[in-house]
Amino acid sequence: MRLPPARYLLQRIIFAGVTVLVLVSVVFVLVRLTPGGPFDGERQLPEAVEKNLRAAYHLDEPILQQYLRYLSSLLTGDLGPSFRSKDFTVNELIAAGLPTSATLGLLAMTFALISGVTIGTFAGLHPDSWTDRLLMALNNLNLATPTLITAPLLVLLFAVMLSWLPAGGADGWLHFLLPAIALALPFSGAIARLCRGSVVDTLLADHLRTARAKGLGRTQLVMRHVLPLSLLPVLSYLGPASAALLTGSVVVEQIFAMPGIGRYFVEGALNNDYTLVMGVVVVYSAFIASLNLLVDLAYAWLDPRLVIAQ
Amino acid sequence: MPLSLVYRQFSLKRCCRYISVTLLIAWAFSLQASSTEETLYLGNSGEPGTLDPHRYNLRLEETLLNDLFMGLTTFSAQGQIVPGAATSWTVSEDGLTWTFNLRKDLRWSDGTPLTADDFVYSLRRLMNPQTAASLAYFMYMLDNAEAVNRGKLPETDLGVYSQGPHTLVMQLAAPYPFLPERLLYPTAFPVPQHIINKVGAAWTKPEHWVSNGAYTLAHWQPEAFIEMHSNPHFVDSVAIQRARYLPFANEQAAYNRYRNGELHAIASFPANELARVEKNNAASLRQSPLLSMMYLVFNTRRPPFDDVRVRTALASVVDQNLLADKVLRSGARAAKTFTPEMITAYQAPPMDHSHMPGDLIERAKRLLAEAGYDAKRPLRITLRHVSGNEEKRVNLAVAGMWRQLGVQTQLQHGTMNAHFADLRQGEFDVAWAGWIGESNAEHYLGLLASDVGDVNYGAYHSAEFDQLIQQARTHADVQSRNKLLQQAEAVALREAPVVPLYSLASRRLVNPRLGGWYDNPRDIHPLRYLHFATDQPRP
Amino acid sequence: MLTSTRLFGSTGFALVSLALILMLCLVGPSLSSWQPEDIDWQSIQTGPSAQHWFGTDLIGRDLFVRTLEGARTSLFIALVATTVSVTIGVPWGAVAGFFGGRTDLIMMRIVDGLYGLPLILIVVLLVVLFGRNPYLLFTALGAFFWLDIARIVRGQTLALRQSLFIEAARSLGANTRQIIWRHILPNVAGVILIYATLTLPGVILAESFISFLGLGLQEPATSWGVLIADGIYSMESAPWQLLFPAGLLMLTLWSINTLGDRLRDRLNRR
Repeated sequence: MRLPPARYLLQRIIFAGVTVLVLVSVVFVLVRLTPGGPFDGERQLPEAVEKNLRAAYHLDEPILQQYLRYLSSLLTGDLGPSFRSKDFTVNELIAAGLPTSATLGLLAMTFALISGVTIGTFAGLHPDSWTDRLLMALNNLNLATPTLITAPLLVLLFAVMLSWLPAGGADGWLHFLLPAIALALPFSGAIARLCRGSVVDTLLADHLRTARAKGLGRTQLVMRHVLPLSLLPVLSYLGPASAALLTGSVVVEQIFAMPGIGRYFVEGALNNDYTLVMGVVVVYSAFIASLNLLVDLAYAWLDPRLVIAQ
Repeated sequence: MPLSLVYRQFSLKRCCRYISVTLLIAWAFSLQASSTEETLYLGNSGEPGTLDPHRYNLRLEETLLNDLFMGLTTFSAQGQIVPGAATSWTVSEDGLTWTFNLRKDLRWSDGTPLTADDFVYSLRRLMNPQTAASLAYFMYMLDNAEAVNRGKLPETDLGVYSQGPHTLVMQLAAPYPFLPERLLYPTAFPVPQHIINKVGAAWTKPEHWVSNGAYTLAHWQPEAFIEMHSNPHFVDSVAIQRARYLPFANEQAAYNRYRNGELHAIASFPANELARVEKNNAASLRQSPLLSMMYLVFNTRRPPFDDVRVRTALASVVDQNLLADKVLRSGARAAKTFTPEMITAYQAPPMDHSHMPGDLIERAKRLLAEAGYDAKRPLRITLRHVSGNEEKRVNLAVAGMWRQLGVQTQLQHGTMNAHFADLRQGEFDVAWAGWIGESNAEHYLGLLASDVGDVNYGAYHSAEFDQLIQQARTHADVQSRNKLLQQAEAVALREAPVVPLYSLASRRLVNPRLGGWYDNPRDIHPLRYLHFATDQPRP
Repeated sequence: MLTSTRLFGSTGFALVSLALILMLCLVGPSLSSWQPEDIDWQSIQTGPSAQHWFGTDLIGRDLFVRTLEGARTSLFIALVATTVSVTIGVPWGAVAGFFGGRTDLIMMRIVDGLYGLPLILIVVLLVVLFGRNPYLLFTALGAFFWLDIARIVRGQTLALRQSLFIEAARSLGANTRQIIWRHILPNVAGVILIYATLTLPGVILAESFISFLGLGLQEPATSWGVLIADGIYSMESAPWQLLFPAGLLMLTLWSINTLGDRLRDRLNRR
């Protein structure tokens, strides 16, 4: 196996950057289109006070100027002041919330990948066997259960009733266990299903018959020929999965009262905290763009034909 | 269930713990006071937007600010108004000049003496338009306050000045007998001028923090916790040395963590659980009626809600008892008047259409028919409310009551901010609203006066009502004020610009080991009065 | 192959359940004497009884009727959204994957870009901009879900394009359209089917998520998401409020997923 050429790499990095820029612009416009101002929640404001507030946040400028101001400060890594949290800047808020969200997301993704690939490969290697059918029936049950039902049930069982684990917060690694499992479950199901399907497909492919005919051992066959190919759909699922994981983390952070940026996002969006929403979007889209970049590279590494074709 | 906070944090290091247990016991015996070092974990109802007393907006911020600062007046453990930074005060005959005598031992938490000039600075800062204090109007009774706040007069014209380091004088524009109560709010708290001049807006950061309350800000991890440590320069000693407030926008999460022994007290739990808590957790349950009024408001700008017949018909079929006792079951109390019945100094007039439920529906239907609405041409209403389970229940039930008249009601809900923003702009037909406030009738009835601005959401205007309120405001003594207010309320109930629904009740879970906790109608529980039951009670 | 043993396995169970649920949605509400908006003031939040088969909700409305009412809404929303997503996603993915190069790059960058917008924000913005019109909202949801299908179809096409039989077809003189139609699409049909079935539950789940945030349908209209959000709140004090809507939702999703799997296996064996 060989690494993809540098030109390919550079191209992908530029595109990742452009993607983030376009995203930020689109969200900037969408968020400003939303009726309602960030100071709606405050009670009667005398004109002088409101004017001071708007000037302090540069809301009195034309929207294009606001946009340019935002982009230029973004380049220096400054996400601006938050509207709702008057004592923190968006940078400080995200710095405080990101470790929690990142830990939760990574832990959940790891759980999901390990259990999903294991279950999927196992079931796919013995298609239509008794175990395959049982595993897939259970897997479908898992896929049919929304996180917003499993999460409270997990809390009720393992925290409130059994008192084994904390019911919320993020003060130590134990606090992450339940939320990460709750968040991982649906993705583990989706990965298992994808993985099983592609393992079955790969086993039927021509080159495998050749490999088998050449007398390769079963373990070697699976590790060297089946898994790399059948992981391709799983790989291309990681991009959307991480975006969906962010959505799921909003529910989980809410139910487990975790101090992550998913909660900022919802509260910011509902309360017209423009700068906070934008800050979270920047972080999210940078994360998703770099993840997609990694997926592309991994794809090229696993299936070099793709790069040559380009 | 015993509290197992320590276990949870250190369970990774369980092995080390066993080894060091002997050492710990020896250490504990050598330092008997160490039991008071236990950190108190409290649930608050959300994340504060700020800890600057002049820029605050929310009730959950008041909770924190009351521990960090002390105003001229303050709360007792029972939630009564008692002298705080001021030992006593006198009022002039005309009710316009208030003179406060300050304690002589007041210090900021960095040891700097606190004087009357600090209060003068703070009130001027509150009114300065640069501060952008959204609750500045709380202190508009001060002479020239509104003009200063609007930037029309310099802040030195504000009706507050010092006479020596320990005497503070407030000059009012009109008599306001409820001043000591109003001074309880953070808007009247002193802020450290010497720090703000040095570090500016960053003064609310833990590393710069200086305040005059029983506690100081030690850590603030957004959406995670706020940690407070006792202030060595506070005028009293306190039993709890360290406390953490955890923000819970979600009642269920707080309830779960309390039951799992992760918190000593929480601000509230889901109302649905009340019956089960009464059965399983009775020792922890603390309930108290709350000084508050939840009501429906008709937008009198929009037909047909400008028609008193329509309003009366709709108001008359709302059954407050059914709402409070059957639908809500949260401890809330049915309200038949716009002023909460807890305000004992004031006797509200009775509502006139609350009797004869038998032909109530027929009478209401007749009224609607007179206004032009019947089965053929049904009245269609959009009823707006704040998102939330309790609010949803109430408004659905109200819609169900109106359905008996053939009225078709569509519900619409939004976040607290969006909801009240629309209400202030008059963007609604009928809406649910609420007011959590003071122990005086004026605080509530003032919401219906036409000069109060946009918090008179429905733009109710009655010359008779306005005149009575204006008249009341000229009196310095509470009794004669209340007599006029009573007449005003009778007018308002007759014309039904609002439908009073219920007064809220606080429902908390408090670990029985926590002493010094008194239920009160303001639901205020300053940390400085609390102690763990194993501690020696304070002298 | 559909053997008799399979009919009584999970596939058969899924088929029967789906049929029953659909039938209940059609005729169920008329079995009960209650209307979705009727309030029984005498039994507010009471458990299942002879009068109220699924119990009553937080203000005394019949949960059986409301659950079926919610089922109608949720299923309709899911169908609309899935149709929209397949219609956009399949051509998009096939064209991008087949032509590759610059076309592919641009088309897929657009998809990636749309992925980067978190779904919640779009929904929040749509709710605010267009008001809470359920059909508009969930058509828009469908227009978001096509991304998955486009991506998968593109990935498969990309891999297929290099395979021997396509090259063989090309050397025999088949044109692009013929290759896409005759060779690529039939070969990715299985994947399309799986993702179409995955989209149905996806939309239903998204709807429940939106309702959980309080941005779903407005009362008195209802859906499974709204009912479940209420049910979670009363999970301990009134478990039936969660049990019935959640049970029905899970059974439906499980059945759709199981049938999707089965269809896929059959396609593969052909």
